[in-house]
Amino acid sequence: MSRENDISKIPVNDYAGRLAKTFLYNPLTPILAVFLLSIGYLSLVIMPREEDPQIAISGGTILVPLPGATPKEIDNIIIKPLERKLREIAGIEHIYGVATDNVGIINVMYKIGENREDSNLKLYDKVMQNMELLPKGAMQPLIKPFDIDIDVPIVSIAFYLKETSKLSNVELFKKIRNIQQDFNEVENVSKTTLKGEHKEQFNVKVDLFKLSGYHLSLGQIMKALQSLAVNVPDVKSKVKDGGIMIFGVKNAIESIKDVQNVIVASYMDSPIYLKDVATVEKSFDMQNYKSAQITYKQDDGSFSPTQEQITINISKLKGTNAVNVAEGVIESLHEYSAELEAEGIGYIVTRNYGERANEAVNELVSHLLITIVIIAIVLVIALGWRESLIVTFTVPAILAITLFIAYLSGQTINRITLFAFLLSLGLLVDAAIIVIENIHRHMHEHDALNHNKDEIMITATDEIGAPTNIATLAIILTMVPMAFVGGMMGEFMKPIPYNVPVALFASLVIAYVFTPYLANKMLKKPKMYHHQHHFQKETTQESSS
Amino acid sequence: MKWLENFIFNINESAFKRYVVIAMTLISLVLTVMMLPAEMVLARMLPGKSTNTYSIYVDTPTGSSIQETKQVTDCVIDILKQEKEVTNAEVFLGQGSPLDYAGLVKGSSLKQGENVAEIVVNLTDKHTRDEASFSMVKRLRPEIQSRCEPIKALTNIKMIEQPAGPPTLASIVLEVYGKDEQSIRHMAQQVAAVFKETKGLVDIDIIEDEIYQKFELIADAEKISRSGVSLEQLNNILYLAFEGMEIAVKNSQNSPDQIPIFLVLSDSSKQMNSFSKRALEAKISALKLMNKKGMMVPVNELVNVVEVQSSPSIFSKNLRKMLNVVAETDMVSQLYPLLDARNMMIERFSEQYEVKKVEGMSTYMFDLYLTDKSSGKQFLLRWDGEMKVSLDTFRDLGGAFIAALVLIFLLLVIYYKSFAISGIVLGGSFLSIIGVLIGHWIANLFTADTFFLTATSLIGFIALMGISSRNSLLLIDFTKSLINEKGFEKNRAIAVATATRAKPILLTAVAIILGSALLATDPIFGGLGVALISGTVAAVIISLLFVPVLLYKTRAI
Repeated sequence: MSRENDISKIPVNDYAGRLAKTFLYNPLTPILAVFLLSIGYLSLVIMPREEDPQIAISGGTILVPLPGATPKEIDNIIIKPLERKLREIAGIEHIYGVATDNVGIINVMYKIGENREDSNLKLYDKVMQNMELLPKGAMQPLIKPFDIDIDVPIVSIAFYLKETSKLSNVELFKKIRNIQQDFNEVENVSKTTLKGEHKEQFNVKVDLFKLSGYHLSLGQIMKALQSLAVNVPDVKSKVKDGGIMIFGVKNAIESIKDVQNVIVASYMDSPIYLKDVATVEKSFDMQNYKSAQITYKQDDGSFSPTQEQITINISKLKGTNAVNVAEGVIESLHEYSAELEAEGIGYIVTRNYGERANEAVNELVSHLLITIVIIAIVLVIALGWRESLIVTFTVPAILAITLFIAYLSGQTINRITLFAFLLSLGLLVDAAIIVIENIHRHMHEHDALNHNKDEIMITATDEIGAPTNIATLAIILTMVPMAFVGGMMGEFMKPIPYNVPVALFASLVIAYVFTPYLANKMLKKPKMYHHQHHFQKETTQESSS
Repeated sequence: MKWLENFIFNINESAFKRYVVIAMTLISLVLTVMMLPAEMVLARMLPGKSTNTYSIYVDTPTGSSIQETKQVTDCVIDILKQEKEVTNAEVFLGQGSPLDYAGLVKGSSLKQGENVAEIVVNLTDKHTRDEASFSMVKRLRPEIQSRCEPIKALTNIKMIEQPAGPPTLASIVLEVYGKDEQSIRHMAQQVAAVFKETKGLVDIDIIEDEIYQKFELIADAEKISRSGVSLEQLNNILYLAFEGMEIAVKNSQNSPDQIPIFLVLSDSSKQMNSFSKRALEAKISALKLMNKKGMMVPVNELVNVVEVQSSPSIFSKNLRKMLNVVAETDMVSQLYPLLDARNMMIERFSEQYEVKKVEGMSTYMFDLYLTDKSSGKQFLLRWDGEMKVSLDTFRDLGGAFIAALVLIFLLLVIYYKSFAISGIVLGGSFLSIIGVLIGHWIANLFTADTFFLTATSLIGFIALMGISSRNSLLLIDFTKSLINEKGFEKNRAIAVATATRAKPILLTAVAIILGSALLATDPIFGGLGVALISGTVAAVIISLLFVPVLLYKTRAI
């Protein structure tokens, strides 16, 4: 306790010395260190990870169908009036109009950084307010806001039928629909979509020549079919004793036979069935020209023949961990693997952003560690192993603070955040190096004999305090204006101006608090050899405390 | 460090030596900055990044069938199957592939139609693969385009790489603005022709619909009303016959969706004998409508068939009509092909048009205004795409840089209360640009492709400003305390301070260099790594040699 009282008398001029003095004998200092490291580690584990940073791009697409109109007409009666109205919205950067046959499309891009929810609402509002501007015959406008987090899937899985499989594409689709339902159950999954799917359908293909042969028109066939395929709710009626009796008409079409046997007309008093003039089959939606194929490298190195596939795309909710969502989905998929195997359905995960994000993060974390080790080795050579150990300790502590603050401010761990850390890594150790070097120098100086060890710690820290503060402030100042860089690129780089200054500030505090503390504990005063600069003879020794 | 002390002391003792140091510094500054216009160091916003996937967009001309599009994608897939690094390839016919960052701005999600397809190519892991994805794209592009594009005339195949930074419509986008669609189309074609001749530009495309032949059935009002049918009936039956319609649905217990009943003519009845007016007339004569009296009326008796040209879509941006001509750059910076193409346009268009350039510096400074000498029609050629984003970013980063300079200067003035010392610190910091440029030049010599000066290099340079000012600050502070507290003579104080401070300066420099060494191998942050490494080396030399010399003549110390 006596040392504490003694060091309080050491004169200090800067925050550096003051911090060093406060924490030099404080019993809370080691606890603080452990606390910092653990919150840093926790942040690293629980912070959402993704590969690219979230860019707030707002915008949307407005589709106005007007059947039968030519591009010129659409341009004049839909695009132009709508564009004029959209100009009234503040914050829109660009409006792109496309007038094609039958439909007018307007794409709206908001300025980068505009609030997404507000922008979507404004767009919707403006179109709805001006419905009366739309021409007669125009259908209800479709307004689709776009949303990076929801629209860009993080996982996509392609399902295909193996050669052994007896399933049809439609049956594959039914299976996938069930799996899709389960994927949606996974926590933080937002949207799942399918590509390449073919749905079940009764196809009635009418032969034009037979139709003329029986003297029928297409319209008659349509009406005949429609009159039988009607779904109605059940009706109920009271029974005499007060109860209720429920009865309903079932849809007359149950199986393919029912469709084939629909009587479309009678000819010479004998009925004409649908199967007489058309082929009826229960297969897939043949009018859907969209399809998806896959070819993959087999185990023997050759490619499989190009075959039909169905891809399921899974997106995550905003601000959630891509790694966890992807893992959850893959886990859910594995539950099906036995069933899929039995049915002869193969699958390939064709996109896994979760894995990529995790890889990118882990790679950068290992880069960080390697770099720290290399710097430590250099310091061992230049200053000694104890000094090197002290500097090396400060790095995780600084990164821990930075990570924790990044976590609190709602950032995610992504390529750019980690890049900001790597960028600051070279700068982070500087403050600690400068402090430890000054302590080292003072310890080995000829007048070190006259001072106590803790006194050297505080004065050495205090001495370089002012220039180091100013220099670090200067680096922080270079980073801050970067936060005002506009556009996509500015938004993309935002983690740098957000995190580097925090890391630098943390590096100062850590250097002033922990470097003298650890140095006091670990370093020994060397045996003194008397040596003085020839030009220093006349200088007076400073008085000891 | 005794030798450094003596070295600095001796230089400062002789006026001649001082001038030599200053002159050498200034000469190297001028020489290295000259590397930029000499194109020894090439600038680009962000270089390509090697990934495990890329896409191929196939666009057959508007009006092509899905079968024709499939022929083209089959051809592309056949080429991909020869590649040993491809693990799988997916084709999405008639639609866009699952959305990615590139597709987000390239309109992939809106793609729909029989003439579009996207192919997603997945590769083996980039760590185990020798060839970077962008090198593979560069190698395959000519092969795929030369073999698969001729299958259907006017087909366009684009190779789309994942962007390293924010996505853009294309590397180079030229917006052709004008008053009427016809002349814009014509101008866009001329621009595309120039692009095709420009070295380094690939995947050139005009974003527009091709004009194709189609037939119009013009209804004869009198015949329709006389035969007792309606125009609506005619439209519906035609659509039902050839496109088909879901006319009813059936709910099912064991199906995830409702099962529609789809009615259409059979394939053999739909098929035309040839692409001609006669074949169409023959076909619709077999199709009959039933009128109110139950009599059958053949469709061909109600309409006249006319052959017409399709009307292409009309595009506008910010209420002005325009067309986009897009191009990708083949692993080169967009800036230089852009300037080449622009010069070629100025030269070629000046015969027929009056060409006006944009005055002054702005992010629109490469735009061209054209006025047709004979018809007086006006056009605006405006550059957009990655180039615009680059210019905007470099402008903003430049602004950030100047702001940083001013802020540091103010900070130093507050701290030292001397403009001279602040000026020395700032000037010394700025000189680290020598190292940055030389570093990029050397890195370029040792890279197989081009090592670009990128936006991340610029960020590195901005960070360097702070780092090297720290070196100077430590030096000046120590010099001052030696003079004020220990009574050193000025030159000796400077020399001793330099020698004493050399160790921490070198140590922190080594830390930065080692810390950035792993960055330098990264394709995106390589620019920053190189800027930090070489800039730090320069900064150390500057602060240990140039700054002490400047300090000697400063009265403020």
